[in-house]
Formats: sequence, structure tokens, C-alpha cells
Amino acid sequence: MKFVKSKQIVVGLAASALATGLATVTASAEEVLNVYNWSDYIAEDTIANFEAETGIKVTYDMYDSNEVLEAKMLAGSSGYDVVVPTGDFLARGREAGAYQDLDLSRIANYANQDMGVQGFANQQIGIDNAGAVYMWGTTGVAYNVDMIAERLGDDAPTDSWALILDPKYASKLADCGVAILDAPTDVLPNVIAYQGGDGTSMNGKDFESAGDVLNAVRPHLRYVHSSQSINDIANGDICAAIMWSGDAFQAAYRAEEAENGHTIEYYIPKEGTNLWFDHFAIPADAKNLDNAYTFINYMLRGDVAAANVNYVWYASGNEAAKSDIDPEILEHPGIYPTAEAQKNLFVVPVYDARLDRTVTRVWSRFSSGS
Amino acid sequence: MMGQTTWLQRNGRRIVVALPLIWLIVFFFLPLIEVAQTSFTMPRRGIPPFEPLWGFGKDGFFTNFNLENYALLLEYWQDYLGPAGNSIRLALFSTIICLVFAYPMAWWIARSDPRQRAMLLVLVMLPFWTSSLLRIYALIGLLNPNGFINTMLLFLGVIDAPLRMMQTDFSIYMGMLLTYLPLMILPLYATMIRLDDDLLDAAADLGAGRVAVFRTVVLPLTMPGIIAGSLLVFIPAVGEFVIPALLGGPDQMMIGKVLWTEFFRSRDWPVASALAVLLLIILAVPIIYARYQDGRTTALDQQYDEAQQNDIKPGAA
Amino acid sequence: MAPFIRIENVTRRFGDVVAVDDLSLDIEKAELFCLLGASGCGKTTLLRMLAGFETVDSGRIEIDGIDMASVPAAARPVNIMFQNYALFPHMSVANNIAYGLRRARMAESEIRTRVEELLRLVRLTGMDDRRPHQLSGGQRQRVALARALARRPKLLLLDEPLAALDKKLREDTQFELVDIQEKLETTFIVVTHDQEEAMTLASRIGVMDAGKLVQVDSPRQLYDRPGNRFIADFLGSVSFLDGIVTGAKDGLLEIDAKIPVLALDPGGFSVGQPVSLAIRPEKINLSRSRGKAANNIPISIVDMAFTGVASNYRVSGPNGIMLKTTQPNQRGEDAPMEWEEQGFASFDPADVVLLQD
Repeated sequence: MKFVKSKQIVVGLAASALATGLATVTASAEEVLNVYNWSDYIAEDTIANFEAETGIKVTYDMYDSNEVLEAKMLAGSSGYDVVVPTGDFLARGREAGAYQDLDLSRIANYANQDMGVQGFANQQIGIDNAGAVYMWGTTGVAYNVDMIAERLGDDAPTDSWALILDPKYASKLADCGVAILDAPTDVLPNVIAYQGGDGTSMNGKDFESAGDVLNAVRPHLRYVHSSQSINDIANGDICAAIMWSGDAFQAAYRAEEAENGHTIEYYIPKEGTNLWFDHFAIPADAKNLDNAYTFINYMLRGDVAAANVNYVWYASGNEAAKSDIDPEILEHPGIYPTAEAQKNLFVVPVYDARLDRTVTRVWSRFSSGS
Repeated sequence: MMGQTTWLQRNGRRIVVALPLIWLIVFFFLPLIEVAQTSFTMPRRGIPPFEPLWGFGKDGFFTNFNLENYALLLEYWQDYLGPAGNSIRLALFSTIICLVFAYPMAWWIARSDPRQRAMLLVLVMLPFWTSSLLRIYALIGLLNPNGFINTMLLFLGVIDAPLRMMQTDFSIYMGMLLTYLPLMILPLYATMIRLDDDLLDAAADLGAGRVAVFRTVVLPLTMPGIIAGSLLVFIPAVGEFVIPALLGGPDQMMIGKVLWTEFFRSRDWPVASALAVLLLIILAVPIIYARYQDGRTTALDQQYDEAQQNDIKPGAA
Repeated sequence: MAPFIRIENVTRRFGDVVAVDDLSLDIEKAELFCLLGASGCGKTTLLRMLAGFETVDSGRIEIDGIDMASVPAAARPVNIMFQNYALFPHMSVANNIAYGLRRARMAESEIRTRVEELLRLVRLTGMDDRRPHQLSGGQRQRVALARALARRPKLLLLDEPLAALDKKLREDTQFELVDIQEKLETTFIVVTHDQEEAMTLASRIGVMDAGKLVQVDSPRQLYDRPGNRFIADFLGSVSFLDGIVTGAKDGLLEIDAKIPVLALDPGGFSVGQPVSLAIRPEKINLSRSRGKAANNIPISIVDMAFTGVASNYRVSGPNGIMLKTTQPNQRGEDAPMEWEEQGFASFDPADVVLLQD
């Protein structure tokens, strides 16, 4: 759940279809490993360093959405040995028999993990050895500082979901553009939290009423889309959006680079927001099991984890890495939330099939306007 | 005539026919049957994420056939009707807009200097050689409030505030036009290039004005191209959801996106399959039926034609 | 009275090419006139200008006393039958024929009667519902004729009307066409590159070359008395001899064309003048012994070809002259002359055509 790239849906599907073919063709005579990870989610030289150190030849493929990864895993025989699903997807996949539990004794560097983060993540899945957290992040609000000030002045609730979810504010921002992520499980629990409810609720009624809140602001929304906001907010084509933390930083960085006069900021709303964790996990039918463990162990080494964080700007699940992480990242409240903000963070539980259907239906009604 | 023929000569025709048939069966009918089967199963957490429709277990043959997915679609028909309506409206208007632009363009290309024609056709096809998403993003770059067109117009002083072009019907149909126009132009061009100029002269000679020539000669004779082009645009446009998602506002929920959501987000492959099967029945069956009827009259004509040729020996008329 | 069709100094250019060059021609009412010429001579352009598909660069065209300059194709009392017939493939025979009538907003009942009438005229009764692709070539040609005649044009233009038919069908159809023309008394202008077709059909033929009318005459006149070498050569086969007039007496000219030739004096030639002689092959008689004719030339056979009705010979005479001749295959005392045989070629002074160029 990180930088979701533009071509998410279509190209992702095509590329992954192609990737499977390539991955399965690779012979097993030499030491090989097939890794499937999010795009732009690793430092440039990590794979090369791993290959040089272990002599294992890595085939490294990328995807752009959890859904694509999941569809592949559920179809079976993906040919991959290590994948990086987000917590709820890992939990569901495990239940379906798509992933095998990790033998933690084979991962010496698991000891490097930040046990607070890892524990939080394990709680979501329900067992302790489903995966090892690679990176984690939040969902929040990104906004264009000047445009919001111009329209809302000092009233601007730039610490609350209300900026987006309250028609009182959203209506004043309609002209400069408001957008929402097209990701129901990253939006609906936060709407419930905004209403004063529990973000971890599994009650269908809570979701129905969250849907009503969304429908009320829908007339003021420019669009519901997961990847378009990065560019648009950076260019000043929209002025506020619910976004994933990493995307928001990327947008802020692009605006800064372009020197286009737009200042983008990101905040974690005071009502709370969901935390998400991306795990290293091993598919049930992985063929190069030893190499998979070797790879995960390597990735959990302090210096390796730090190099990746310094490149992708997400919070790491690795405690040992902190000494090597850029202080600018460590001290960034949007990446490593302050103690205050941490109090309101929650982890979205894994929904059952019934609730899944309710969520989908509420979301479809919202995005189709019916 | 009854001389020696090799096996290949005798069966060559069958082989030529069989190859595309096998291709169709393997890559079209088998997946279609798979989808149809899935639509009668129930979802589960597992690999694959639905129960097998039938098989042989401990107690012998078993089947999980049920119609619950279709029942679900019926129960929540209102949730699907909106997006289906959006999709059909989008496809219909896109087809009409493409036709309006493509018809004169194809006519112009077909009537231009033969040496330039190849070049013009290449220009029509040129966008197809780039990723369609790339073109859509280029269009976004043009239409955005801070995009090229607004910047130019503001700079020239034509407008005071940026025009709102993105996330409107205008941007959606621009995107559809950009993507689907070549599919309309090519079949139109193919019929127009075969249209004999003498027919137009003959009609004019027999007293038809420009409008009458178009109505009575050009239009009927280019109708196969209009139908083929419209189907080529309409059918994929019904399933289109990337363009409305990228260029449209929040109201643009398309049936294609609903399918995507059911499949990827709800992990409900059976319901997604049922929806796909229903769409296929609603959209494809009438079209196939119409084409079949059309094909039958053509076949009858041909039989008649052959009978005639046998009747009339050269010089006997 | 002014002629029915008057073409006056008409010129039409396409870029640098002059398709029709300052051409003038009068055609009478109910005439079957033929424009004959090789492809690219401008005859089709002239036809299209009459129909109104091409504009006239300069000059004027008058039909029945009315200047056509500002009359569009659709409004002219002229119809055209296209070389490829240009039948509307999506319409039945009846609808093809009725097309022009519907454009004229004629009542449906009247249209039906007229179509029946026309189908009878072209002997296609009962074919109303056929589509063009269900018809044979000859039937299509007759539908095209019926369609072009439906509006009862004052002038019917026919562009290579028989070119698409095979040889045997063409011969039958030629006479049919003439019959129909005589029955209707409509003015026909036929464009063709086929001199035989032109001769069979037309009461008058205009021969065109390079955008100009070279000669306008009856078929017989054109054949027997061609105005120049081009026409003599274009219409049928001919042998040419070049010579100089050396004397004149008793209405005959003596000519030295490497061999001495006597020719009937058509007038206008003087002693010492260079002259071309044209002799048709069927006017030259071959025999083994010297005959009684005024012109008798010793020859030997170079080439012969048997064609059934006749045999075609090429013979060489004194001083390298070559003649073409056709001898009928009659039952006779003499066996036909053979390859490399010696003999005499004889022809009458009246059959020698003198050309000034």
C-alpha cells in the first residue's frame, strides 16, 4: 500500500501475467529466487548486493495493487517464493491456504524487528509467524496549504477528517478539487472513526452510516481514484485528498522539485486513522524455500533495512535499522507518528465474507452515486 | 478432374478451416465455459477462491450447482442497473461521436490521392502504437486546470479563469474519441474505398442532389462499414472503465469497474462471473443474432447467384 | 434551325494536359453519333462535359438551344450509361430503373408502368426483383440502358457500352442497341475505342485524336476516303506507299512510289507533289500470273496467316516495298498461294486513296 502507480489496473495485470510466465520458466538447476514486490519499494542496489553476497539469482517482479497480488495467489501456482502483501490481504490469503507460516528459527535477523510494530501487525492477522513486517504507514489527508488558507482561512480543520468529510468545508473546496482514495478498507473505517465510532468495527450498520457520510460529500468531490491525486495535488489541480502517507510525501516532494509555488502537507487526523503493514510472506507452493528464508533474513539485516527506508521514505518494521536511518525520516511526524498521534492509530481487522460484501456494496453505491 | 491428389490437397481446405476453429475453441470457448461454470459455484476462502462445480469425491460424483449468484444480482439489481446504464450510455454516445468524426475523415482519406492514402492511414493508426494510458495522460496534461490549453488561453487573455474541462463529460468523450476513433475509421475506409465513383456520378446524372446521393447511395453502401465500426467501438466501450475513471468525476461508475470490484475487491469470482455471463447475454446475443440474420440473407443471395451463373451460359443471354 | 447539340470551341485542360482542344461539333436530333478514338484522346472528357460532370474551360455547349454552362448534371436532359454500368448494387433491378423517376418525384403507379415498359423494351420482363450481382453481364448492360432511358432524356450518352461483353454477345447487342435507338428516336452519342463497333452502330463517326476531332463522316466515307494517314491507319488495316506525282492523264495520276502506280485523280494534286498512297488489303488481288488490272506488281510472299474466312498475306515487291493483302478463301481453280511463292499483286486505280500528308 505504497506509491500506487498510475497504470495500476491495466498495466499491472498485463505485466504480472507476463511476469508469471517468466518466473516459472526459470530453471531450478542453479540457485534461484523469485520475488514479487510493490514497484519502487526497494533501494536500487539491494537485489544486486544480495545476489553478490549469496550467489542466488533473483528474478524480481513488481505489482501495483494488493488486489492484483491476491488474484494471483488465489489462482495458485504463481511461481513466486517471496511476496509482500498488506496485513489484511495476508490474513485472508493465509486462510485460503495461499501462504505458509514462517519458521522464525530460520530467520536469525527476525530479532532485529521492532517488536511493538511487529506485535501490532501480528495482532491483525491473529498469529505471530504469518509474516515479517517490511514497512508500514498510515492513511491521512494531504492538502495544498495556500489554497486551503485562501478558501477557509483560520477555520480550516487541518487536523481532522472534517476537512474532507464535512460538507461545510468540502463544499468550499469543490472549486479547487477534493479527491478520495478508491480503497474502501482504507476509507470506511476512518469515516467510522470520524463519526466517533470504532475504526475496528465489524458491524455492518457502522459501514452503512459511513456510506451516508460519504454520499453527503460526494457532490463536492472531483473524483474517487487511488493514484491520480499524486500528480494532481502536486500540480495544484486538486487541493485536498485522502491519501496514503507515502503518496502524500511523494506529491509534496514533486511540488517542491517543480518549484510551482504549491506547498503540500500531510497530517494524521486527530480522530485517528488506520495503520497498515506490508509483510514479507512465503506462498504455500514456493519452490525455493531455503532461498526465500535467506532473502527475508537478508532484508531484515539492520543496514539493509535502513538503506531501503532511506530510499523509499516509509517507516521500517526494523528496530536495528534506526541507527542508520536518515534523521530527517525518523523525526518526520508523517512517517513516524508522534506519541500523541499513535494513541489514535488502529489496525483494521480482517473482515469476513459477509462484511466484505457489505463493504463492497456500500462502496459501490458511493462511487456510482446511486 | 479425378486425377491423383495428395492427402494434403484433399484435406488442405479442412486444415485451413480447422486451425482458426481450434484457436477459437481453446482461447475463446473454453475460457467462456470456465466463466459460465464459475458463475454457478459458491465463493470460498481457498485456491481457487470458489468451490468446484462438480467432481468425484469420497461418495462418488458430486455437484455444487446453484443459482445463488444470479439471485444475488437480481436482488441487488439496482446497484448494477446504474453502472450498466452508465456503461451503455457511454458506449452509445462514444459510438455516435466516433461515427460523426470518423465518417468525413474516412471519406476524405478514401478520396485522397492514392499516394497519400497510405500515409494518412498510418497517421490514423499511429496513436495505436503508443500505450492508450499514455495517451490518456497526455490528454489530462492538455485539459487540466493548469494544463496546456488553459495555460495558453490564460496567457493569450482569452479567458480569466481556467476552464473546467477535466472530470466532465467533455473530457470523458475526448478520451473515448481519442482511443476508439481508429476502430471506426478503418472499417468505414474499407467500404468507402470500394465505393465506385461512377455510382455517385450515376446518381447525380439521374437527378439526385448532394443530399439524395448521400442518402440513397453513399449511406446504404457504406452501411456495412458503419455497422462494423460501431460494433468495434461499442462492444469494448461497454466494458471500458479506465478512461471514465481517469478522466471522469465520481459519478462515472461503469459496469466494467463493478466487475473489477467484484473480482478483485470482493474476491467474489462467482458473482463476477455471473455478472459477466449476464452482460454477455444482454449485449452479445442480440448482436450475434442480428449478424446471423444478415449472414443468412447474404448466403441466400449467393446461392441464387450461383444458380444464375449455372443457368446462363456465356452468350446465351 | 440550329442543330440539336452544338459544341463550340470547347477546351478542357487538366494541369498541363489539354484533354479537349478547341473542339466544335454539331449533332442532329435522333442521330446515333459515335466518338471514336484511342484511350486518352479526350473522348470520355467530352462525354463527361456533356453530362455535366466536368466543367468547360472555354467554349460553350448547347443542347436543344439551351446553353448548358450553368445547368448541373442532375438538371440536364441528358443521361449517361457508364462503361461499367454503375448499377446500384444494393437495389433491385426495378429500383435501379426507377431511381431517376423517384428523384423526379413521379407518382409510384406511374413509375411502375414506366419500369414495366422499359423492362419490356430491354427484354428483361420478370427480372424486377433481381439484384445486379444476380444478373449476367448482358443483362446488366440492358438494365443500365433501361435506367439511363427511364427519364426519357433528349440525349443519351453511352460510354463504351459494349466493352464489358464478350465478342459474340457484343455483336447481338450492337443491333439491339440500334433497334432501340431507332424506336425511341433519342439522340445517342456513343464513345468507343473499337472501330468495328463504331462502324456498326453509328450513322456518323467523329474520330478524335489528342483532343481534336480529326474527321467527322459516315462510316463508309471514313473507311473508303480517310482524310489523312492517321484515320486510314486507325480504321482497319492499310498499306501505305510514299511517292511523288509524275504525270496526269485521262483522270488518272501517275505516281512514282518506288514502283509506278496509277491512281484515280480526286483533284487537287499537281505534278511533282509528294503524296501518300493508302490501299486496303481486301482491294489487292494476288495471282500467279500477271492480270489485266492497271496496277500490276511482281511480288513474293513473305508471310501468310489463315483466319478462316480469308487469309492475310504480307508480300514484298520491287525496291523493298511491302503490302498487306487479304484473299478470300473461295473455292476456285487456283490453289491459294503459299509461302515464298512468286506472283503478282494487282489493284484498281479507284482503290488507291491519295493522302496529302
